[in-house]
Amino acid sequence: MGGGGFTMEPGNPALDDYVRTLAPAREPRICLLPTAGGDSEDQIRRFHAAFGDQLCEPTHVSLFRLGSRPVPLREHLLGQDVIYVGGGSMVNLLALWRAHGVDEILREAWQGGIVLAGLSAGSMCWFEYGVTRSVGRPALTGGLGFLPGSNSVHYDGEPERRPFYLDAVARGAAPAGWGVDDGAGLLFRGTRLAEVVASRPHARAYRVHAVAGAAVEEAIEPRLLMARPHADPLAPLAVEELRALHVAQRGFRRG
Amino acid sequence: MTRASEQAAVEGGRPRQIVAFGGGGFSMEAGNPLLDEYVLGLAALRAGRRRPRVCFLPTASGDADHYVVRFYRHFPASRCEPSHVSLFRRDCGTDDVRAHLLAQDLVYVGGGSVICLMGVLRAHRLDVALREAWEAGVVLCGLSAGSLCWFEEAMTGYHGASRPVEGIGLIAGSNAVHYDKEPHRRPAYQLAIGGGMPAGYAVEDGAALHFESGSLARVVSSRPSARAYRVEAVGDEVVELPLPVEYLGAPRDVAPALAA
Repeated sequence: MGGGGFTMEPGNPALDDYVRTLAPAREPRICLLPTAGGDSEDQIRRFHAAFGDQLCEPTHVSLFRLGSRPVPLREHLLGQDVIYVGGGSMVNLLALWRAHGVDEILREAWQGGIVLAGLSAGSMCWFEYGVTRSVGRPALTGGLGFLPGSNSVHYDGEPERRPFYLDAVARGAAPAGWGVDDGAGLLFRGTRLAEVVASRPHARAYRVHAVAGAAVEEAIEPRLLMARPHADPLAPLAVEELRALHVAQRGFRRG
Repeated sequence: MTRASEQAAVEGGRPRQIVAFGGGGFSMEAGNPLLDEYVLGLAALRAGRRRPRVCFLPTASGDADHYVVRFYRHFPASRCEPSHVSLFRRDCGTDDVRAHLLAQDLVYVGGGSVICLMGVLRAHRLDVALREAWEAGVVLCGLSAGSLCWFEEAMTGYHGASRPVEGIGLIAGSNAVHYDKEPHRRPAYQLAIGGGMPAGYAVEDGAALHFESGSLARVVSSRPSARAYRVEAVGDEVVELPLPVEYLGAPRDVAPALAA
């Protein structure tokens, strides 16, 4: 996702619904990795608020709090249907994953068919290169490289990224890749782009590659996702009940 | 004056100072400012003025907002020139962060996860910048993860067991913190030392090791009962040697720190 989902589009769950329904499970286990945001409590709270009343089993893993709240990382992550990576600093994200061996676990998860999703730093991390603002001005930084090529997010939302990215691709500093607007998402099956979707009418994705030393942008028209009514006013009690049930189940499993 | 600081004085350099808290300071001991006053005193001496420059690094907590807020509450502008560096919300380049750290009198590293702290510091090359600051005489301090990071090796508690983590290595040997807090820390540290981890220091909450130019100059505490130990392997045995601790709350001890 170039930007979007519960942290950036609180009133529009279209991209999050799309991610959730990519997993074949009826009630998918979905785990948030809020690492790039420093495991911010706000991001974690919003995730549980957004997914807590949906048909899924949401959890999160905080690498900063493993000392006080230990989680068997490999076992927990490989037991998921969806791993959802939050936004923040891409440089810190990769450094923290490597320090904890999460990079290798995620490769196993991906190869094992677990849906990997994310926005912003949580999108660029899957590619060979991303355009980070972790060090102030836009800069190229390496990702996990599961997907070939490069990725620049917030293509419309943070205008200083686009000229930097185009220049990097033109110079050959970054391999060809995708520039993605806020509200647009790329679905890769394996390493092939399968679909481009969007939660808003004007969001676009662009294939960016170099032709004779110049960067060329080819706009890709996304499929506009239908927005689910955000809250069902007729069933507030059912929602509350389901949320309580989820909380009880999670508490029970953690034992 | 210790031998190390004498040597530094002879060489015309400033003493390289690190104060490593086993636990304590504003984030752990609400209402007990003794350790914070101690490092603020050292910073004021270094600065040669009443309001030293103090920079907080909340990295080990993931730059938690509430932690940053509490720092400014306890290090107000009336006492110092406070600032903080957030590595999760950076708006300037590495050279600027390095220059900022070098311009401080005191860099205060907060607690949290030492594995996360070291990973992020290295990614931004701040391990190098902190070494430079130390060499330039900037006082470095911190608690918990912010203590462990200065040593060659740190003990950390994960999944009920502890494991060694490599620190910046400004202080030779190893370090264990919160030594009194959880019962598994003591046997785990002794086992690690017995298994070849370099000898080091185990420090309880409220105690702090003050190093000058890499050597332990004194141990101070904010609580009368807080202890610190030198832990080393002697033959096949691991020996825990209690260190003399100066309680900062005793009237004679408070004076020099506050007078600074």
